[in-house]
Amino acid sequence: MLRRTGQSLVVLAGVSVIVFALVHLVPGDPVRLALGTRFSQESYDALQQRSGLDQPLLQQYFTWAGRALTGDLGVSFRSGEPVTGQILERLPATLTLAFAAIVVALLIAVPLGTISALRPRSLVDRGATVLSQIGISVPDFWMGIVLILVFAGTLGWLPSGGYVPLTEDPWGWFQRLIMPAVVTGVVSGSVITRFVRSSVLEALGQDHVRTARAKGLKARQVLSWHVLRNALLPLVTVTGVQLAYLLSGVVVVEIVFSWPGLGQLALQAVQARDYPVLQGAVLLFALVFLLVNLVVDLLYSRLDPRIARR
Amino acid sequence: MRAPRLLFLGTAGALALTACSGGESVDTGNGGGSSGGDNTLVAAVSAQPDQFDPHVTSAYPSFQVLENVYDTLVVPNPEDLTMEPSLATDWETSDDGLTWTFTLRDDVTFHDGSEFDAADVVYSYDRIIDEELNNAYRFANVESVTAVDPTTVEIQVSQPTPNLPALIGGFKGMAILPEGAAEEYDLTTEAVGTGPFTLESSDAGSTELAAYEDYWGGAPSVDGVEFRYITEPAAALTALENGEVQWTDNVPPQQIESLEGNDQVELATTPSVDYWYMSMNYAREPFGNPAVRQAIATAIDRGAVTEAARFGAAEPNQTAIPEDSFFYSDYAPYDADPAAAEQLLQQAGVQTPISMGLMVTDEFPETVTAAQVIASQLEPIGIDVDVQTVDFATWLDRQSQGDFDAFLLGWLGNIDPFDYYHAQHITDGSSNYQGYSNPEVDRLLTAAASETDQDARKDLYDQAAQLIVDDASYVYLYNPDVVQAWAPGLSGYTIRPDKAINFEDVELP
Repeated sequence: MLRRTGQSLVVLAGVSVIVFALVHLVPGDPVRLALGTRFSQESYDALQQRSGLDQPLLQQYFTWAGRALTGDLGVSFRSGEPVTGQILERLPATLTLAFAAIVVALLIAVPLGTISALRPRSLVDRGATVLSQIGISVPDFWMGIVLILVFAGTLGWLPSGGYVPLTEDPWGWFQRLIMPAVVTGVVSGSVITRFVRSSVLEALGQDHVRTARAKGLKARQVLSWHVLRNALLPLVTVTGVQLAYLLSGVVVVEIVFSWPGLGQLALQAVQARDYPVLQGAVLLFALVFLLVNLVVDLLYSRLDPRIARR
Repeated sequence: MRAPRLLFLGTAGALALTACSGGESVDTGNGGGSSGGDNTLVAAVSAQPDQFDPHVTSAYPSFQVLENVYDTLVVPNPEDLTMEPSLATDWETSDDGLTWTFTLRDDVTFHDGSEFDAADVVYSYDRIIDEELNNAYRFANVESVTAVDPTTVEIQVSQPTPNLPALIGGFKGMAILPEGAAEEYDLTTEAVGTGPFTLESSDAGSTELAAYEDYWGGAPSVDGVEFRYITEPAAALTALENGEVQWTDNVPPQQIESLEGNDQVELATTPSVDYWYMSMNYAREPFGNPAVRQAIATAIDRGAVTEAARFGAAEPNQTAIPEDSFFYSDYAPYDADPAAAEQLLQQAGVQTPISMGLMVTDEFPETVTAAQVIASQLEPIGIDVDVQTVDFATWLDRQSQGDFDAFLLGWLGNIDPFDYYHAQHITDGSSNYQGYSNPEVDRLLTAAASETDQDARKDLYDQAAQLIVDDASYVYLYNPDVVQAWAPGLSGYTIRPDKAINFEDVELP
């Protein structure tokens, strides 16, 4: 456990170097962008100095990394506000959407994948394959806009987008969550359905399942005790990966539904070459991936004690 | 089956956490909530302001809000953009044109209750100049700003500067703050203006303003304004149609036609002060040759470009200034004529095919479309255009390094002819990236910059514009329309050519 955490920290340090280098390698001068098209050389120099961009790159990195260790990710070039605060402000919206989407995804994937695996090549199985193919290939912005036009426009059942905190207006919170959660959930769900199907199929073919059947256990018992338990392992992994992906901000969906999450923030930061915000956001995404991986590993060892002892 | 339960528990826990730490909610004073009160205007804008310090930001989404919060000494008239009184009631220039005297209103209070006087003007302008903020270039001619008495401000300039009112009143980047505001307030998140609305709060979803009851021009008729950020135009228009919002400027030109027959939406368009143009790099052959540039200017069918890029929501133009302006110059020597263009190329003695990289940015999608149309129009005369789409930061970098054959972009928010022509075409001008140099144009532009007689000034700019067009320093394409939409029955709002949005007099249906 300790070794595992230590590894993660080393990876994180490496990531911080790469993040910093990559962000600074992207062409485009943030000072020029911040000033717009008309400005004087004096204003350019003044802003460059204020944002520390006149310092050598190596020094910029150590200043940034040193502060990042204390939780201070610097100040946004664009807004002049602390990056940590901006990220924390956006985190609730992203967490809400990511977890809601995972719930939607699992609600779709687990039953659909299991049924498909139990009756391979049946109508249900083929239907599920086609549906998940559609779910993966339909662009999420298109699906989002169609939902908006139908449910907010024609039917008028739901607001067209936006976000309110649960504490402020639970009903409004739920209404605004439905469409973005469905769009992101369908995409993740389509991916997960296939994993569920193949891992249930694989589990079905294993010796102990045949043994269990031969012992005369009821089909339902075999399914829940022997098959699903084994199929769970890959499901945890893929769900973890999907969750990490969703937490890093589903940029397109956040923009279509005016959902003020981290994806939106990161996109704005890229466009404005807002180095501190971009670095902070990417570092956070890396941290999320590492954390989710750690949690997945822990879950693994609970599900399969053999792994824990390794 | 313990594991999945654990996962779901985790989910519930995270949701609960979300609930507790949910973004700072906003009390608008009339019940709170993002829906605002009954008499609050909800305006859908496409992006979040980056910050609220008017002297520091250069972002349009910030100025959409700040327009309603801050005042300047003078303001553009909503119709023809000539300068009229705001915080200054009156102004005059000395005979030598070097001293401007502004008389100020004496009945104005800032949102924090303090009284407005000449010291605030001095403080605000000195802040821009001393800290070398982005707008310092507007004070390039200014030697000093002094308070003569509480209601009189004197500005000394180094040479006659007839466009001084346009420079200090053109937009809210020249806003007047109370003396010492930068020390007392965090101006990136707080605002202390004299305008019709006060800044109440702002987060990642919206910005809320409340009516300022003591506004010198009389309290606004709505209780407040909520600017809601909706990036996706389809979502913004849906929100307008189903009554979630009452106003939006997020209307892409291709929607205009379908909205015209829609009685849930009132549509408004007006020609803007922006212009789009193409320019070539003089340092790269054969584009330093005027005949080649003229051939290109002749081959381009501006009507077709306008139709494709703006769905017709623009005025094709061969000079920079739009027709409604006093400074409009009625000069259009090029007619879309490929044969004549080919002839020009032959006369110039250049070998075709010529290849030309045309740099555009996806930040302004219409430039990409316009470039594609231009590429198809130049192909028949033997010019192979390679349309290079880059993001805006890269675009600006390459422009400043001279790393381009040609590019296509616009100048936005121009008020005075100085804004339209000076820095772009004078030799060594700060925006003369194409490398244009014509001594006669230099002379005309320099004279026009300090000419105080309006008619004489227009004449100088007309002459300069003709030469610029003849030399094809810029190949002008069109002035786009401002397109906005609002709820039927909304009144008291005027759509403006400079895209400033002012909700002072707006009344909800």
